[in-house]
Amino acid sequence: MPTRPLVTDYASDLALFPDRWHRVGWVVFLLIVLTVPFVASSYWLAISNDTLLTIVGAIGMMVLTGFTGQISLGHAAFIALGAYTAGILGGAHMPFWVAIPAAGTVAALFGLAIGPFALRLEGLYLAIVTLGLLYLVAHLLLSFPDLTGGAVGLEVPVYYTFAGQGDLSITLRPPLEFFGLSLGYDQQLYFLFLAVALLTAWWSKNIQRSNTGRAMMAVRDHDMAAAVLGVDPAKTKIIAFGISAFIAGICGALFGFQTQYLSVETTANLQLSVIFIAMIVLGGLGTTFGAIAGAIVFRLLEPLAHAVGPSIPLVSTLPQADQATLLFALTVIGMLLVEPFGVLGIWLRIKRYFALWPFRY
Amino acid sequence: MDTFLQLLLSGLALGAIYALIALGFVVIYRASQVFNFAHGEFLAVGALATVTFTEIGLPWGLAVLASMVSTGFLAAVVERVALRPLVGRPIFVTIMVTIFVGMVLRILLVMLWGTDPRGMPTPWDPMSGFDVGGAKVWTNSVAALATATLCLGLFFVLIRKTRLGVAMRATASDQETSLALGIPVGRVFAMTWFIAGMFAALGGVFLGMFPRSVDVELGYVALRAFPAVIVGGLESPVGATVAGFGLGVLEVLAQAYLNPELGQFGQNFHEVFPYVIMIVVLIVRPYGLFGAKTVRRV
Repeated sequence: MPTRPLVTDYASDLALFPDRWHRVGWVVFLLIVLTVPFVASSYWLAISNDTLLTIVGAIGMMVLTGFTGQISLGHAAFIALGAYTAGILGGAHMPFWVAIPAAGTVAALFGLAIGPFALRLEGLYLAIVTLGLLYLVAHLLLSFPDLTGGAVGLEVPVYYTFAGQGDLSITLRPPLEFFGLSLGYDQQLYFLFLAVALLTAWWSKNIQRSNTGRAMMAVRDHDMAAAVLGVDPAKTKIIAFGISAFIAGICGALFGFQTQYLSVETTANLQLSVIFIAMIVLGGLGTTFGAIAGAIVFRLLEPLAHAVGPSIPLVSTLPQADQATLLFALTVIGMLLVEPFGVLGIWLRIKRYFALWPFRY
Repeated sequence: MDTFLQLLLSGLALGAIYALIALGFVVIYRASQVFNFAHGEFLAVGALATVTFTEIGLPWGLAVLASMVSTGFLAAVVERVALRPLVGRPIFVTIMVTIFVGMVLRILLVMLWGTDPRGMPTPWDPMSGFDVGGAKVWTNSVAALATATLCLGLFFVLIRKTRLGVAMRATASDQETSLALGIPVGRVFAMTWFIAGMFAALGGVFLGMFPRSVDVELGYVALRAFPAVIVGGLESPVGATVAGFGLGVLEVLAQAYLNPELGQFGQNFHEVFPYVIMIVVLIVRPYGLFGAKTVRRV
C-alpha cells in the first residue's frame, strides 16, 4: 500500500491531489459519478439526486459546526429560506441560474443577521437560541400565505426555473440533447446537482486550507486562545454563519427542484437540522470528506431500511419513513458510543491497517 | 378585569406544568451536564402509561404513581445505556445522543400505543371548577398548581436536607472530586435521572389533562418548555420554576392581548412568544436570569 510522500514544503501540504493514488482515485470517482445517471433506475436516480443535495447541505453544516464548532439547530431555517426563495423566484419564471444564487444570498443574509447571537452565547445556549430562530422562521413562513402559500405549501414550478422555457409541464418537455445523449428531466437535475456539489466541496476544501478556515478551527478549538493569538472570533463566527447559511440556502433551492413542492413541515423542522448534524458526526467532524461520507451513508440507510425493515417483526408494522428513522437513529447512537470519529475514523483505521500490513503495530 | 384574572389563573396553571417540565431538565443538567432532548418522550411515556394503568383497573392515584416509577426506571435505563459511556465527551455529543434517543423512544411509543389520541382520566369531573373573584377556575388547573408546588417543595427539601441531595450537588459541581471523596457518582446519576423521569411523568399527566387527550405528539410540548429552562438558567431549579410560571402567564396573556394586535403575523404568535422572550433575555444575560456565569481561562 503506497503512503503519502514526505511533505517537504507548505505547498505540498496544501495540495488537493498530493500523490498519484489520489489522482487515480479521483478519475475512478469521476467515472462512477458520470455513469450513474445512465445506468441507474429512476428509483436509484432519485436517491442519487437526494444524496447530492444532501452533500451540499452537510458541507454547509460542516463549515459551521465542524470547522467553527458552533452548534446550530437552525440549519433547517436556512434550508427553508433558500427553498422558498427558489420556489417564489420559480413562480416568477426565473431560470435556475438566478434562483440558486438568490436562494443562497437570502439565506446568507439571514445567517449574517443571526451570527451576532453566537458572539455571546456558546454550546447549549446557542443551540437552543438557533432552535428558537428556527421556530420564528417557520412562524414567518406560515404567516405570509400570499407569498409562501402558508400552511397549504408552495409549488416549485421547475419547468420555468430549470429549463428556462415556458413549457406547461415536465412531461411535455422533450429530453435535452447533448452530444448525442438524450437527457431526461432527472438526469438533467443530476448533472446540475453534481456540478453544485463538486463546486461546494471544492469551496469548502479551499476554506479549510485558507486563512479563514484556519481561523475557524482556531476558534473551534479554543476561542479565547485564538483571540489572544490575533484571530478575531467575532468576525470568524459571523463569516462562518454567513458561508454556512449560503450553502444551506443553495441546498434548499436544490431540495425545491427535487421535490417540486415545499411545505413548512418538510423544510423548517427541527428533525431536518438534527439529521444534518448527525450526518456530519456520522461522517467525521471537521473534514469535507466527513460531510460527504455522512451524507452518502445517510441516504443509503433509507433503501437499506426498505429492504430490511419488512422482515423484522414489529418494525414491519411501522410506516416506511419511521423504519428509516429508527435505523438511522440507532446507527447514530451506536456510532457515537463506539466510534467517535465516524466513518472517517473507520476509514483511517482501515488505511493504517493496510499501510502497516503485515505488521499490526 | 375578570378576563385578566381568568387569564392570569390559566397562565399560572400552564406555568406550573412548564415549571415541572423545566425542573426535569435542570435536575439532569445539574448532575450530569446533559441537556436531555428526550425529555418530551418521557412526558408522553408518563401520560400514556397512566392511561394504560387506569385501563387495567388501578385506582387513579396508584396509576399515576406506577407510571412515575416506570418512567423513572426508563429514564435511568436510558442514562445507563446511552449516556454513561459518554461521560467526559463534548456537550455536543450528548445533545446528539439524547435527540436520537428521543426519536427511538417516539417510534417505540408508536409501536406500543399507536397514534390514536386517548382521553386522560381524572379522579374529579374534568369540567368542574369554582369561582374566584368572578373568574372560573378549573379543578384541573388547581390540581396542576398544587402538585407542581408540592413537587418543587419536596425537591428543594431533597437537595438541601438529604444525603442524596448533597451527593447530587457535589456531583454537579465536580464529578472527579466527588468520585475521589467516595460518592458513588454512577448511582447518583441513576437516581437523578430516575427523579427527572418521575417529574416528567407527572408533567405529562397534567399536560394530558388540558386538551383532555393524550397521544404520542405530547412530547413536542417539551420543546415549548425549553425557553423556561434557558431563561431561568440551566443550573438553577429556582430559575426554572420562576421562568416556568412567568412564561406560562406571558404566553396566555400574549395569546389574548398581543395576537390580535399583530394581524396576520399574530396567528398562533403566542406559541413562539416564549422563544422571543428567551432570545431577548439571552442577549442581555447570556447565562439566563439565575444561571452561573462560568469563568474561563486560556
